[in-house]
Amino acid sequence: MGGLIEITLGIMTAVGGFVDISELVFAAQAGSRFGFALIWVFAFSTIGIACYGEMSGRISAIAKQPVFNLMRQRLGLRWGLPTLIVSSIVNTITCSAEIGGTALVLQLLTGWPYGLLAILSTLLLVAIIWLLPFKWIERSFGLLGLAMLCFAVATVQIHPDWHGVAAGFVPQIPHGLPAKDLVVFAYFAVAIVSAVMFPYETYFYSSGGIEENWKPKDLKINRLTTTVGFGLGSMLAITILINAAVLFRPLHIDPQMPGTAALEVAIPFGTTGLLLALAGMLFAISGAAVETGLSTAYSIAQFFGWEWGRYKRPHEAPRFTIAWLVTFGVALAIVLTGIAPLELVEWSIVFSVVVLPLTYLPLMLIGNDRKYMGQHVNGRLANSIGWSFYVVLVVAAIAALPLYFVTGGGQV
Amino acid sequence: MKRDDSLKLLSEVRDLQIVDCEGRNCGICDDVELEGEPGARLTVTALLVGPGAYTRRLPRWVSRLITPMVGRRVVRVPWNSIEKISGRIYLSIKGEVAGLRTIEDRLETIFKRIPLS
Repeated sequence: MGGLIEITLGIMTAVGGFVDISELVFAAQAGSRFGFALIWVFAFSTIGIACYGEMSGRISAIAKQPVFNLMRQRLGLRWGLPTLIVSSIVNTITCSAEIGGTALVLQLLTGWPYGLLAILSTLLLVAIIWLLPFKWIERSFGLLGLAMLCFAVATVQIHPDWHGVAAGFVPQIPHGLPAKDLVVFAYFAVAIVSAVMFPYETYFYSSGGIEENWKPKDLKINRLTTTVGFGLGSMLAITILINAAVLFRPLHIDPQMPGTAALEVAIPFGTTGLLLALAGMLFAISGAAVETGLSTAYSIAQFFGWEWGRYKRPHEAPRFTIAWLVTFGVALAIVLTGIAPLELVEWSIVFSVVVLPLTYLPLMLIGNDRKYMGQHVNGRLANSIGWSFYVVLVVAAIAALPLYFVTGGGQV
Repeated sequence: MKRDDSLKLLSEVRDLQIVDCEGRNCGICDDVELEGEPGARLTVTALLVGPGAYTRRLPRWVSRLITPMVGRRVVRVPWNSIEKISGRIYLSIKGEVAGLRTIEDRLETIFKRIPLS
């Protein structure tokens, strides 16, 4: 019974913690611009993150190695150090986007000044991380983020064309689009792959496995969390896209502000829906801020072999503690410069794609190393999916920057 | 030990996590110290840990750029302090004794003065 509760909580946490500001913004924009035509990219990327997430969790349980330890071992210093630098920059930018998003949602709820809310929310998040152990942090944000399920309820309420939705799961490029829009479509496809497969998710998930001292008996919960939990979380992101396609597309609304997505629930359910959507967004986005801030500290501490982890008290892992405090400080400073959260999201998305191949290569190598993994090495399915996605990620990494500049971040 | 085995050992030990006898992380093996004459057998005598050891493995321009920030400190951990190597390097002694936890210990003392830490 205890095991069942643990599995259910793990899955629910994964669902509630799946959506962050980038998925929110890109799902709503994708639906508004291209209808249901980009649903398949969400579904496709979810298979990738489920595969790599499962692999990283399995490696944590069996080899007891977090991602950046592996990266240092397998890529060496020359490739590992640039990866650490770029991913730390990307994580910090993403963290600032999440803090900015949190402040925007709070502004919609309270009407207080944006800068003040960014400072207050950062202080609150820092206090939460300082005081609570890992499991409490992960569970509380994940479970409160389940308020985002109101987007799925809204989807049912607005009666979309279900045949059209189902057709959206089939890989496609819309017919008759002018060349300019095709390039924007390609930019959105790459951005969604990046948003779903953000590297910080794997850093956080694999470090979490070690924080919670996973053992071989936990492989089942790992598999269920990454397949069922991530799958349902992705469905939630897809409902945001569907709602935008039904409600925003006919009115030519371009939902650039994260708060606009809340209208998807406000339209069918009024004020109650609006408040519920904003609450869900608040917990989902601030939860992602915690994950990105901690992921930066995990990466640096693991790369240099320091003591790390929130299962230790702050003084027991002082350099790790300093790393996440500095990350939040820098992220807040970026927000206070006045750069729009959407712009930060776009930069984090583009640069995340670039580090994705370097993030997942060590996982594939260790996952296939019998010396580390024994009988739990990658099976045929994990290898087929893992290597196929690896090719996709390399192509996406090469295409990301040119597409960003050609489309002006999808604004063409 | 055959020549190719030596090279394999070098590549397998470098960049591994070092853990002391109390299970605490004590840094990464940034390089190894070898002893021997040209043409003769090489013996690994110590692990080298710290910025002074890893910056010289980087391209020269990168090394010049980051050395002023990270310094040149190197801690030499004698090879006979190693208990076993299996995915990580396990020491038979405490990190403090090997000189590996000086910064961590100094910071720990400061952090202990902060409430609720």
